[in-house]
Amino acid sequence: MAKITLSNIGHSYNKDKDQSTWALKPIDMVWESGKTYALLGPSGCGKTTILNTISGLITPHQGRLLFDDKDVTDIPTAQRNIAQVFQFPTIYRSMSVFENLSFPLVCRGWKADKIKARVHEIAEILDITDKLGRSAVKLGADEKQLISLGRGLVRDDVSALLMDEPLTVIDPQSKFELRKKIKAINKINNLTVIYVTHDQYEAMTFADELLVMSFGEVIQRGTPEQLFEKPNSKYVGNFIGSPAMNFLPVESRSGEMFFGSTKLQVKDSKGDLKGKALEVGIRPEYVSVASAPGENVLEADLLGHDDLGSVRVLKCISGGAPISVKIPRSQGIPASKKLHLKLPSEKLWVYQDGNLA
Amino acid sequence: MYKVLKATFITIWSLFVLFPIMWAITTSFKPEAAVVNGATFIPWLEFQPVLTGWKAILPGPDSLTNLLTPTLNSFIVTAGATAISVAFGSLAAYGLSRFTYGWKKYSNADIIFFFVSQRIMPPVVLAIPFFLVLKQLRLLDTHLGLILVLTSGLMPIVVWLMVDFFNALPREIDEMAMLEGCNPIQAFFRTILPLSKPGLTVAGMFCVIFGWNDIFFALTLTATKVLTLPVAVIALNGTVTPYWILAASTVFSIIPLVGLAFVIERFLSRGSLGGAVR
Repeated sequence: MAKITLSNIGHSYNKDKDQSTWALKPIDMVWESGKTYALLGPSGCGKTTILNTISGLITPHQGRLLFDDKDVTDIPTAQRNIAQVFQFPTIYRSMSVFENLSFPLVCRGWKADKIKARVHEIAEILDITDKLGRSAVKLGADEKQLISLGRGLVRDDVSALLMDEPLTVIDPQSKFELRKKIKAINKINNLTVIYVTHDQYEAMTFADELLVMSFGEVIQRGTPEQLFEKPNSKYVGNFIGSPAMNFLPVESRSGEMFFGSTKLQVKDSKGDLKGKALEVGIRPEYVSVASAPGENVLEADLLGHDDLGSVRVLKCISGGAPISVKIPRSQGIPASKKLHLKLPSEKLWVYQDGNLA
Repeated sequence: MYKVLKATFITIWSLFVLFPIMWAITTSFKPEAAVVNGATFIPWLEFQPVLTGWKAILPGPDSLTNLLTPTLNSFIVTAGATAISVAFGSLAAYGLSRFTYGWKKYSNADIIFFFVSQRIMPPVVLAIPFFLVLKQLRLLDTHLGLILVLTSGLMPIVVWLMVDFFNALPREIDEMAMLEGCNPIQAFFRTILPLSKPGLTVAGMFCVIFGWNDIFFALTLTATKVLTLPVAVIALNGTVTPYWILAASTVFSIIPLVGLAFVIERFLSRGSLGGAVR
């Protein structure tokens, strides 16, 4: 376990001078020992670049990387003691399951009996003891991924466990099981885990902290609750949560927000924000259907609805702005197409030019 | 109908391809009378097989020439050149597949082309330079000299084949090995090499075929001490050698390659190609 510090680390694959095109724009960041972090963002946003920089598969274009207080920027991958699980299960095809699991220990020159004991211990945790003698090629994708993970866990010197979308190729049922196992193992080993995914649910179930990335930059870092409750930008609001956050264009008139002619009370008011492109954001979970007009109530037209298991999403439009409303399915579909939507002031946030005001 | 056409075509084509070889094989067992008194084809029916031709090329009282020594020479030269080419060629190919080299605007692709370009030149262009170099090094008419010259022609084949082969193996395998404590060389030997048997076999087979069949360099760069099999067989042609002896020598010279092809064919169909990923 180690605290990982990225000091002004940036990387460009084609060694471009223009930093705006870099795969990873210079960042300063500290990852605490023993915590689980999820890197979240669309494909190509620099998540894997960060992982490969930490593991040493990429030497960053600039900046220093520290494990605890030791500078490891120029230390080769083999000496960094990183365990990494790739998106696709990586196994050594020519070896059996046992040989696969013991490979890192053989590389470290462990004695045979010690290796055997340790491999059996890990196989026990992963529940693959009965498959140790089998050829690794013959296993299913989820078992292969377990072995990839197991090879990271057999070592007793791991500084951090990096996982690069490890559940992508796993079918949904096994995904659930595997996720549970990974979580249990992290608890036992108390590792620093960095988990890359583009699946927000995966990120939220795994991580102590989430980092949302876009175009090589970390846009917001925080606990799953913080990112859900108070996204610092429209980007995060759209990326986290399903359906995405609602954004309504507003005007500021003498310190008060108006959506069309409707005045909207905002708890965390920032005063006069005249002349800027302003929007208020609210999660579909916090919008409710009101019975009558009132404070912070908009008139809206119901366009349709989507049923998602136990919840229902009402698709509405008000003053040209689309609004999603998430209600329990048991609530039923409103009889009238004309709705009153209540936007509670404590859940409304003001965004200025795309960022939280 | 389609099946009949297919079978007919395959039969005719096989006869066309195999006929010269079959004829060489039968001729090598023919007595003089069966060759000089008009064409005969079927043993035991049209002629009684004898070993006259074979006795003439192998050591013994009826020996005309001894092909065993040239066979040994060919074996040493082919094995040596193949071993060096496969060993260094596959290392070079691994480097070119996994790491980026370059100088100014020249990159990996240019290095690969440099290797392949060695085969573009006709060998005749190289004969005189090679002769002069080997003469300087006192390697004319030696096994080592011929091995080095053949290697220069075989290594490009290995590099060319193996770069593609290694490119097809997922990088994650060696990256994983490095994450788990191997340096690049250990990663290559411990994880990539065991997966490369099919590729190495094909590359090695090409080297053996080209090395074994080489006649040009053997003819120009060696004389009596390192007489290789193809040169010895050609030498028989230069004199008034009876057909049955020529046929026996030809058949004798292709036996090792045919045997090798049978062994390797089984190995290739068993070894499954493909990535370790997914």
